[in-house]
Amino acid sequence: MTGSLLLQSLVLGVLLGGLYALLAAGLTLYFGVMRVVMLAHSAFLILAAYLAWWFHQRTGLDPLLSLLVTVPLFFALGVGLQRLLISRLRPATMTMMSVLLTFSLALIVEGVLGLVFSGTHRRIQLPYSGSDLVVLGASIPVVKLIAFTLAAIALSGLYALLKFTRFGWALRATIQHREAAQLVGINTDRTAGLGFGLGLATAAVGGTALALDSTIYPSLHWHWIGPLMAIIVVGGLGSVGGAAIAAMVLGLGQSLLQLPLGTTWAQTLFYVALFATLMLQPRGLFGGRLAQRF
Amino acid sequence: MRSVSDLLRYAGLLALAALVLAFPQLAPDAFILSVGVVIMSYAVLATSWNFVGGFTGYISLGHAAYSGLGGYATALLITRTGMNPWLALVAGAVLVALLAIPIGIASLRVRGASFVIVSIALVLITLLVFQSWGALTGGSNGLRVPRPFGEGVLRPEQHERFFYLHAALLALALLCWWIIDRSRFGAGLKAIREDEDKAQSLGVPTFAYKLVVFVISALFTALGGGLYALWFGFLDPVFQFSILAGSYLVLMSLLGGIRSLFGPLLGAVVVGYAVEFFKNQYGDTQLHLVALGVLLAVVVLFMPEGVIPALSGQLRKLRPRATSIREVSQAELAAQRTPEEATR
Repeated sequence: MTGSLLLQSLVLGVLLGGLYALLAAGLTLYFGVMRVVMLAHSAFLILAAYLAWWFHQRTGLDPLLSLLVTVPLFFALGVGLQRLLISRLRPATMTMMSVLLTFSLALIVEGVLGLVFSGTHRRIQLPYSGSDLVVLGASIPVVKLIAFTLAAIALSGLYALLKFTRFGWALRATIQHREAAQLVGINTDRTAGLGFGLGLATAAVGGTALALDSTIYPSLHWHWIGPLMAIIVVGGLGSVGGAAIAAMVLGLGQSLLQLPLGTTWAQTLFYVALFATLMLQPRGLFGGRLAQRF
Repeated sequence: MRSVSDLLRYAGLLALAALVLAFPQLAPDAFILSVGVVIMSYAVLATSWNFVGGFTGYISLGHAAYSGLGGYATALLITRTGMNPWLALVAGAVLVALLAIPIGIASLRVRGASFVIVSIALVLITLLVFQSWGALTGGSNGLRVPRPFGEGVLRPEQHERFFYLHAALLALALLCWWIIDRSRFGAGLKAIREDEDKAQSLGVPTFAYKLVVFVISALFTALGGGLYALWFGFLDPVFQFSILAGSYLVLMSLLGGIRSLFGPLLGAVVVGYAVEFFKNQYGDTQLHLVALGVLLAVVVLFMPEGVIPALSGQLRKLRPRATSIREVSQAELAAQRTPEEATR
């Protein structure tokens, strides 16, 4: 009994960690290319979840199909946000002011969601919503498995894009050293815009994955801000790999702690990890010297 | 010239003080008076926020954690130990200030974005704890705070007394800010704001300075939160530990101007009034969130220095222009020339 319960927690923890890794990947992209801490990321996540719900409600089709529209839409939105708003901020106060600017975006998105869809809790009902896959006595909800698969596909796509395309090289060069990238002829402003769009596109995928198995409401994004921020600080600001590892470790930890502590207190793991990281290793697990200064 | 501007400044200060003192008599009804108390409370909290934000440039979105803790500490000390309410207010604030020391040590080790993240995390964790620990805090059912003046004091009288109490606390916070602003300590803090690495290399004990001002800020914020709790009489974790409440303080301070003494006060009057108006008119919808978001975005994009510096910049334009050639570049002179002059 306890064995299978433990196994189930482990599996669920890995699935959760995968989703966290996808969501945190977007945050590290913003930070990498623009030194922007994007507080609105989780608000856009909820926006994507609402769009998936609305799409399903209207057409009756599988919400995953909404990705065909939301991913390009969010990509364009991200490029637009970066070019029109964030690049207007002064470089000297970029980090602080971008936090406030993206915070205001989060409020606007939440407010608009509340106005359009009201504060009522929404949930997508799918034919496979209630079904479980039983492996060695551990029952795993199919929707969680789909969400994880979505996260895995998106993350591998992101990895391939960064590793094997010219745009990916340009983006990584911009993240590593902006001036040096400019010297070898990379248009870093354009690259930053596209990087921002890419980050927001991951929010579209993540939000749709989230909509599959959770109840959504406009103010839900506050619940995500804390864990996601903790993940990128623990992983080291700007490190995509560090964020992925931190996401996996914390997701697993949260899932395992839920057994003895219950869901609410298990949440505190993220904050304990955050404060412990700052006390012991302020730059995070994989952050360079840079991480401490921003 | 200098004496005239000084005279104007004293006159303005006197007028402001007179306006504040006369407000309870001018207010037409108890509701407006209560709005006045709320705005005063915002002014106290925004000014307290500005100890860290204004001097060091570290933007904290999480000061609601200290005001909430101050409120709960005051209420719990009264109900659990039977302490005198005013003693509980001070003792609660001191407790919060002590708690701010380890929090400051952890969060001031990092700069910029990481600091903001920690401040947000602080609000979220206090919300989580105070909601979950129902046995002590009443959880989501809330916590009643006993009235300090007894049942004999009627509601409007209570509003009036608390208006003056908040005003007194505000004056104390402003005085403290003013003293720091003119001290060597304040100069060190402002050096941190301009360039922390250079300040450190010039021998400013940056970490100790940041920590001291952080604790002072937490102390005043907790006093503000405690006083508000005594007035309002009821605490709910969702409203006490909210990032939204913390962001109001940032908006007020930025809007008024974080580098000036009265900036947060001005911001509190403008934003506080707008917030109360929106809650009153559109309380059921989420429109107030959109309004707050747009206002914050406009302030950040177009006047990050605040209204007071922006206005004084406009005033400076009206004054006689400086004639020294060093203050005007060749390109600017060329631009000022009229076409006829240019062709002549």
